[in-house]
Amino acid sequence: MGLDTLFVFLVLTSLILLGSSLLSSSIRVVALQGAVLSFLPFLVMEPGWAGRAVFLAALTMALKGIVFPTLLNRSLREANVRREMAPLVGYSLSLALGIALLILAFWLAGRLHGIGVGLSTLSLAAAFFMMFTGLFLIIARRKALTQVLGFLVLENGIYSFGLTVVGHIHWLVELGVLLDVFVAVFIMGIAIDHISREFDHINVDQLDQLKG
Amino acid sequence: MNAIPWIHMVVALVLAPLLLGVINRTKARVAGRDGAPLLQLYFDLWKLLRKGAVYSRTTTWVFRAGPLIGLAAVLGALLLTPFGKSAAPLRFDGDLILFAYWLGLMRFVTVLAALDTGSSFEGMGASREVFFSALAEPAFLLGLLGLARVTDAISLSTILPGVTAANWLSAGPALALIAAAWLVILLAENARIPVDDPNTHLELTMIHEVMVLDHGGPDLGLILYGAALKLWVMGALLVSLLTPVRYGVVWQDALVFLGGMLILAVGIGLIESAMARLRLTRVPQLLMGALALAALALMLTMK
Amino acid sequence: MPVVHYFWILVGLPVVGALVCALLRAPRAVLTALIAMAAVETAVGALLVKGVFSGAQESVAWGWFYLDALSAYHLAILLLVYLLSTVYAAGYFRHELATGLLRPGQIRRFGILWCGALAAMALVLISNNIGAMWIGMEATTLMTAFLICVHRTAASLEAMWKYLLMCSVGVACAFMGTLLAVAATRGLPLSGSDVMLWTQMRAAATQMNLPLLKLAFLFLFVGYGTKAGLAPLHNWLPDAHSQAPAPVSALFSGFMLNTAFYCILRYVAIIEAATGGSGWSLHLLQFFGLISIVVATAFILFQEDVKRLLAYHSVEHLGIISLGVGLGGIGVFAALFHVFNHSLCKTLAFFSAGRIGQIYGTHAMDRIRGTLKAHPVWGIGLFGSFLALIGVAPFALFMSELQIIFAAMDGRAYVALALFLAGTGAIFMGALKHAMAMAWGEPEHPTPAPAAGITDVILVAGSLGILLAVGLWMPEWYRSLLLRAAHIVEGKI
Repeated sequence: MGLDTLFVFLVLTSLILLGSSLLSSSIRVVALQGAVLSFLPFLVMEPGWAGRAVFLAALTMALKGIVFPTLLNRSLREANVRREMAPLVGYSLSLALGIALLILAFWLAGRLHGIGVGLSTLSLAAAFFMMFTGLFLIIARRKALTQVLGFLVLENGIYSFGLTVVGHIHWLVELGVLLDVFVAVFIMGIAIDHISREFDHINVDQLDQLKG
Repeated sequence: MNAIPWIHMVVALVLAPLLLGVINRTKARVAGRDGAPLLQLYFDLWKLLRKGAVYSRTTTWVFRAGPLIGLAAVLGALLLTPFGKSAAPLRFDGDLILFAYWLGLMRFVTVLAALDTGSSFEGMGASREVFFSALAEPAFLLGLLGLARVTDAISLSTILPGVTAANWLSAGPALALIAAAWLVILLAENARIPVDDPNTHLELTMIHEVMVLDHGGPDLGLILYGAALKLWVMGALLVSLLTPVRYGVVWQDALVFLGGMLILAVGIGLIESAMARLRLTRVPQLLMGALALAALALMLTMK
Repeated sequence: MPVVHYFWILVGLPVVGALVCALLRAPRAVLTALIAMAAVETAVGALLVKGVFSGAQESVAWGWFYLDALSAYHLAILLLVYLLSTVYAAGYFRHELATGLLRPGQIRRFGILWCGALAAMALVLISNNIGAMWIGMEATTLMTAFLICVHRTAASLEAMWKYLLMCSVGVACAFMGTLLAVAATRGLPLSGSDVMLWTQMRAAATQMNLPLLKLAFLFLFVGYGTKAGLAPLHNWLPDAHSQAPAPVSALFSGFMLNTAFYCILRYVAIIEAATGGSGWSLHLLQFFGLISIVVATAFILFQEDVKRLLAYHSVEHLGIISLGVGLGGIGVFAALFHVFNHSLCKTLAFFSAGRIGQIYGTHAMDRIRGTLKAHPVWGIGLFGSFLALIGVAPFALFMSELQIIFAAMDGRAYVALALFLAGTGAIFMGALKHAMAMAWGEPEHPTPAPAAGITDVILVAGSLGILLAVGLWMPEWYRSLLLRAAHIVEGKI
């Protein structure tokens, strides 16, 4: 039951992100999602791997719960924005599409679990839903910061999928996701700094000079 | 025939206005005032029933029939509502659909009566009401479906008494999500903050209040009493979802239920004191959120 | 020296080079260090691939390192393109420094990232471990993102952001595919770390879980396809290529796109072996190859900027390569041949476009006139590379495209054939018009062009010469190498 509650919580945080417009609270929600996700290794690892689980959990908590929010908040302050105004897809519609994506995630999870993949339908569905939410945020929002948050949520989904499906392969999940997220967010943070300094805003939909 | 459910129904009919009194008292106490007497709504109803009524020349029989049919509809819903863990006076398989439709009928005639006046304010309130209920009703029904799956029954009188501690342990997340969704819908459908402010005097900010702006006298009394019954009925569902204990002894169950209703009323009062009313454009998002919670709960129960 | 040392040098030397660049002060020193590092790297690479090229060995392997015909071929192309680009970059940036377009600090940053990019791409090509392949691709995304905005302008930052976001999402998708591919190996008697080795997966392909493997391939195709510039996920390509400095564009088109496509080919090999050659993955490649060709045609006809035009040509040629592989049989052979031809030709094209742009001060094609008169060497380079790109005989690209046409007729893929001919025909006319306009006429503002150095002549003449020679006559060792590589892709070896 604890595992179920954890996955439901991950889905709820993704839903909150779909409807949230205040950037600082979005960063907090993603940090919370990462912090909750860092408990996953303890619940899925087999008994002999306590050390590895502790290492993973500590690393994930430190990165997703502390380092990334700090970096993103710093970028937020320097870019001097507060809200995601008038996104490409409105918030009510985002939530409605989120429900549709949730149904899709459950369907896909049911099919995969049917051939024996993953711990449970819910675990696969939560992972897929986080991936879909992440992709949606990248496509449907204007601010570069929200796109980075979407990328983080995408990575959270892939991480949770990897841990519950191929967690027994040493170092695969760790190396892949942590390398990806760490370096990518670090670099994206730098990139957003450059953009905000050059352009005076971080509205990516106004980066439209190059056309055709 | 068993008389207990009918006694329960009479108790409900008598106690419903008290709920609103408790809510208002809580709000007043939190704000540091003494507040109106707990029985204020009874006094108001008594006063209103003795008044005469004035009807506008633009209205028709629809306007006069609205409050009557509305009260009849909510009484029909009350017939189906279990009193805590005890069965309702009327029960049959699939009565949860009828329950939802009774409430829908009540909303429908209120909206019709509002449109019948030809006033633009009431038309505005009617359109808001219908829009919000278009989002709230599916969430309510999805929650009912989820509960039906968890308890494996399709009659309200079997579902709600059937929610036990064992159910909570095995399907805890799903039930918690349904309870959260229902709380939001309760607040939305009964014109509570954060969806609607029952104390507002500005027509532009009203939703439910504005629809009944032109009713007076006994009609207003019927509407107020109907609203109290609606709050009771929806609250009863929520409370018996949240109390997973069942003693099997009538008066113990009734006591637990009434205690739960009291706590619910105080809780609503506290929520109203703590929050401000949401901007009108944010209400659909709130209801969408409730819909998402209910949908998620339903999918969890379908594993 | 034992072969494992060569592998380590191949990956480690660029890292050392990056550190050296970080410490050097003078830009000329940085550029010279880059050339030195590239030369040594090429020499080591040549020693490594020698055995496989001559057919003496089927493959060279040690632990997680692996080099067979397919990867040896790609490694050779990588090192060639890289060496040429580094030599070119030295001249290109020297001019920019002299005219004050770049500061010395930016050259140092360029040097560090340039070395890092080589290390990452080499890692992709020489690793047997699919996880390491993925890490290499991820690293190339991150390194090259900042190479795009060496000149810190509004347009280049926009290009960099689009590139970074799209390719990061693509690489994340590819990671998901890698996870699914590993998941498909459950139940196989493979130990923990062995399960991620490509050779092991290839050997056990028929026993892998097929639905999972197919789902994995979908993710991998979308993910690596984004990095390879296959439509409809190619949107980052024109922006990135047009905004990056010319050596970086050359590296992108000349090699990075092929690295991503190489990863796809590795997985095609597994899928084809697993499905017994049913062609499931080949149909996908064919379809998206055709879409790329069609989309590229549409955009090429209305281009005004020469580097953007070349970028869309890259999309088109990647589409041709994908189509070739998708047709199977001789198509795979032709596609692999085309990989080399396109890389060399596109590299030369970007070199020319870059220099011509420097001389004229603009990349807008309607303002560039009379290049043959203003600067004969690079004017010939530009015109010659355009001719080769659009498939004029007897350049090598004509030969490889002709072989793809044969493959289409062999496989009775008439729709594909029709679209291919229509697309390349339209591009032929459109691009030729631009090329001729740029080559002839009077230069508008005759700027005193710098005298053509010997390196310029070697770059242009050498590249055009190789393209002509290979088009007319294919050496036997080359043919057998390509055949072996094609068999690997089709899952026959």
